[in-house]
Amino acid sequence: MTPHPRILIVDDDDDFAESLGSFLAFRGYLVARAADSDEGIRMALARRPDLIVMDVMMRERTEGFFAIHEIRRNPQLAGVPIFAVSAIYTAAADFAVPPGSDWLAQDEFFRKPVDFDQLLERIQARVADVLSEKASRIL
Amino acid sequence: MDAPTPESVVVIDDDRAMRLTCEKILARAGREVLCCESGALGLEAVVERKPALVLVDLKMPGHSGFDVIERIRKCDTTVVVIVITGYPTIGAAVEAVKAGAYDFLPKPFSPDELRLVAERGLQHRKLVLAARTSEIERELLRRRFVTFVSHQLKSPLVAVHQYLDVMKRLGEGPEVREKRDIWLERCLERTEELTSIVEDWLTLASLEQGALQRVREPIDVREIIDKLVAAYGELAAERSVNLSAVMPPGPCTVRGDPTCLTVLFENLIVNAIRYNRPGGSVTVEAGCVPGEVITAVADTGVGIPESCIPMLFDEFYRVGGRKSDECGTGLGLPIARRIASEHGGVIEVESVEGEGSTFTVRLPLHSSAPEGEIVPGSAAEKAILA
Repeated sequence: MTPHPRILIVDDDDDFAESLGSFLAFRGYLVARAADSDEGIRMALARRPDLIVMDVMMRERTEGFFAIHEIRRNPQLAGVPIFAVSAIYTAAADFAVPPGSDWLAQDEFFRKPVDFDQLLERIQARVADVLSEKASRIL
Repeated sequence: MDAPTPESVVVIDDDRAMRLTCEKILARAGREVLCCESGALGLEAVVERKPALVLVDLKMPGHSGFDVIERIRKCDTTVVVIVITGYPTIGAAVEAVKAGAYDFLPKPFSPDELRLVAERGLQHRKLVLAARTSEIERELLRRRFVTFVSHQLKSPLVAVHQYLDVMKRLGEGPEVREKRDIWLERCLERTEELTSIVEDWLTLASLEQGALQRVREPIDVREIIDKLVAAYGELAAERSVNLSAVMPPGPCTVRGDPTCLTVLFENLIVNAIRYNRPGGSVTVEAGCVPGEVITAVADTGVGIPESCIPMLFDEFYRVGGRKSDECGTGLGLPIARRIASEHGGVIEVESVEGEGSTFTVRLPLHSSAPEGEIVPGSAAEKAILA
């Protein structure tokens, strides 16, 4: 396992990005931050992070979903896990996270406020998978 | 629903005498009538004219009346269909109603019977349309409300929660100590943000309950503007925005609640500063025209996309594409509009995206004639009730 896995946080709420970013940095991750989906996609392409944490509702209610869709369509970013986070009330019918939709099949959803230790556990597990897959491909 | 010829009627009947009779009776009742001799022509007319009402004979060569009803239902669910039937049994008419006709009229009928059935059908359509509109409005408001609660209300709470949680989890390390003050400061700022949202929300709720309209006194709008321009000079300077006022020499007196009116202009001025750019300006200009005091708050800011203007004064609506730090509570403009209308006035907006916006408030001028039996807010109340 590489010593410093790289995480990209895409969130228009500076405070959420700062708290999560600092938490992950203190836990040994290299953290980059983007404040909207365009910047997020740009940074994802430039840095190819080991995992992306993406807020769903930024300037537009579903901006994050479109960004995830965009990233998923890009072969250069194939296999990068995306964790969606949101404060939206997912129990309301038209805000519900569609189960089994293509992005959810490989990605995970967390409701804000997020339990950072639980999130960290999932990040560790997914990043380990990604890195071991990379290693096996090289071998 | 856009009906190019509102309340028009299409009559579909292969019997010429019947068409002429219907046309005469309905035209006399003020309806625009188009007659068609076959189902096919009738359907064309329905698609083209989008009538409010269709009268259709059940028994015709070619497309039967049942056919016509079914096809009309498929292309327009708001048009009211009434069946004319010469059948000796009522069974066919019942079938037609089952197929989607609203009512039926057995031949022969008197002019009064036709008018009555037609008016009843049109009345029914109005109710259906009104119910649909309010259903759409309710649905939009509900969605906006859910967005409002999860974004504007929950976001600051989440931010504070995550900072406190991180501080608790990371303990007392030196790196944490370094950031702790900044984080605590942010917690305070986000709490303040939440407080102002809740306050705005409560203001709006109390305005809706009519709690803030009891005070009615003559007040010079220039005084309110002067105070606000002085109070917000600092905020404007912080953002390198030039805030100024242009006032006439004479008084611009309206009758109303000074606190509410201050809130109205405060919301407009704060928005104009907030949605501006460094080096930009905000100009507040007041003036009197016969019967009205007009105050315009003009900014050289980001402007509002044309598509957003119709929703601008709606509760919980916010123009997309703003960074979170320049966002207000999303309730400032609904509050402003409410206060203006409570005072018998209106707010208008003109905006060019990328160039700036001008919000114009028109309030009834308070004449200095002897104060007699002026009923406080009567015009405003009527306006609201209407």
